[in-house]
Amino acid sequence: MKMCVGLQLCSPGVDGVHDMGGMHGFGRVVEPGSELPYHERWEPRIFAIQILVGLEGLGAGPGGRTVREEMDPADYLAASYYERWLYSAEQRLLRKGTIATGELERVMERLEGGDTVPVHRDAAMAERILADLRSVYPMDPPPPEVRFDRGDRVRVTRMHPAGHTRCPRYVRGANGVVESIRGADRLPDRAVYGEQVAPEPVYCVAFRSQDLWGPSEETPWTVLLDLWDSYLESA
Amino acid sequence: MTHDHHHPRPASTLELRARALEALLAERGLVSTDAIDAVVALYEHDVGPQNGATVVARAWVDERYRERLLSAANEAIGELGFGGAEGDNMVVVANTPAVHNMIVCTLCSCYPWPVLGLPPTWYKSPPYRARAVAEPRAVLREFGLELGDEVEIRVWDSSAEVRYLVLPMRPADTEAWSEKELAAVVTRDCMIGTAVPTAREQAIA
Repeated sequence: MKMCVGLQLCSPGVDGVHDMGGMHGFGRVVEPGSELPYHERWEPRIFAIQILVGLEGLGAGPGGRTVREEMDPADYLAASYYERWLYSAEQRLLRKGTIATGELERVMERLEGGDTVPVHRDAAMAERILADLRSVYPMDPPPPEVRFDRGDRVRVTRMHPAGHTRCPRYVRGANGVVESIRGADRLPDRAVYGEQVAPEPVYCVAFRSQDLWGPSEETPWTVLLDLWDSYLESA
Repeated sequence: MTHDHHHPRPASTLELRARALEALLAERGLVSTDAIDAVVALYEHDVGPQNGATVVARAWVDERYRERLLSAANEAIGELGFGGAEGDNMVVVANTPAVHNMIVCTLCSCYPWPVLGLPPTWYKSPPYRARAVAEPRAVLREFGLELGDEVEIRVWDSSAEVRYLVLPMRPADTEAWSEKELAAVVTRDCMIGTAVPTAREQAIA
């Protein structure tokens, strides 16, 4: 139920390239510099701006994460992490009409011509964002009646959703065992698009590596995910 | 956005674009410079792996705290003054001689900010997101960690709103150590599960 309000910018949400579990060919994990959270001063500032866009209601659309998932897959892979955050901040501002197409480019020209970034003071906004970042919003407790109990065997539903989902491709169709019940939460597949949906149970499900990947040279291991009730069926 | 797939924009262009966005929002009074500065400072100075290390060291010296941490992590972490965004539903998983835990987010970059700060670049990059669930021992080997075949590896993919923290095993021969000395050997990677703490590191730290 996608809602792309007033824009030509909204590409269809997909089972995207962001869903990376099990993909081959990306190379080594540990590379020089990869232990740092970021490398350029603009990166944490864009991180902060993206949070402020949400908190101050400056953006529209389904939220930064979903917007990043809507990136052209080749662009997504080519982009650095905070480049994706820059993209999502910009897109959300455009979708709301807070900024207009072409405005950013004009400011870039001004900065190249020697203008400096203006300083705007608003201590109350700083307090608001710090208070929000220090707040905790836990899930609801699970309802008294749940479909599955600890130890139940479950199978992840085969699906091919055309939008945001928290059910990675690599677990779809696989059998696992309910390890615990985490709480109740609104299904993101619908909630991120503004649908009013009731919270549903979220289960922690344990999968044997053989059931996800088949035989491996490595000694079998366990993979655990937290999955919404809608993703699961009895096995 | 450009759609030049094979030539990502150079960093200087990105920096210019990022500065332009800040300039545009600041000159309209929509985003305050001090709010941006405050968020950057929060995660550079106040919130980081030192928080998680404090939690781990407390759990090592206080068995009842450890029990609370493993059964109700939000509250136990809150006792030490930590908590906030991306820590709304904390679960702490304990390593034992038989079980080694590691955390990942294959879909995104979900990470327990209040106890670990912002994730390292490798955590949010394709190789780790792709490989941690599919070949964890090969990944751990890259970090210099070899685990025996008798150890069950449990990989926690942060697919929902739960955020995980690994409680590593206390290194041997540290009975006489203070809580502060213990916290000093608990690195970020130990709490992601791509490393284990050793007593030797204290001499270096």
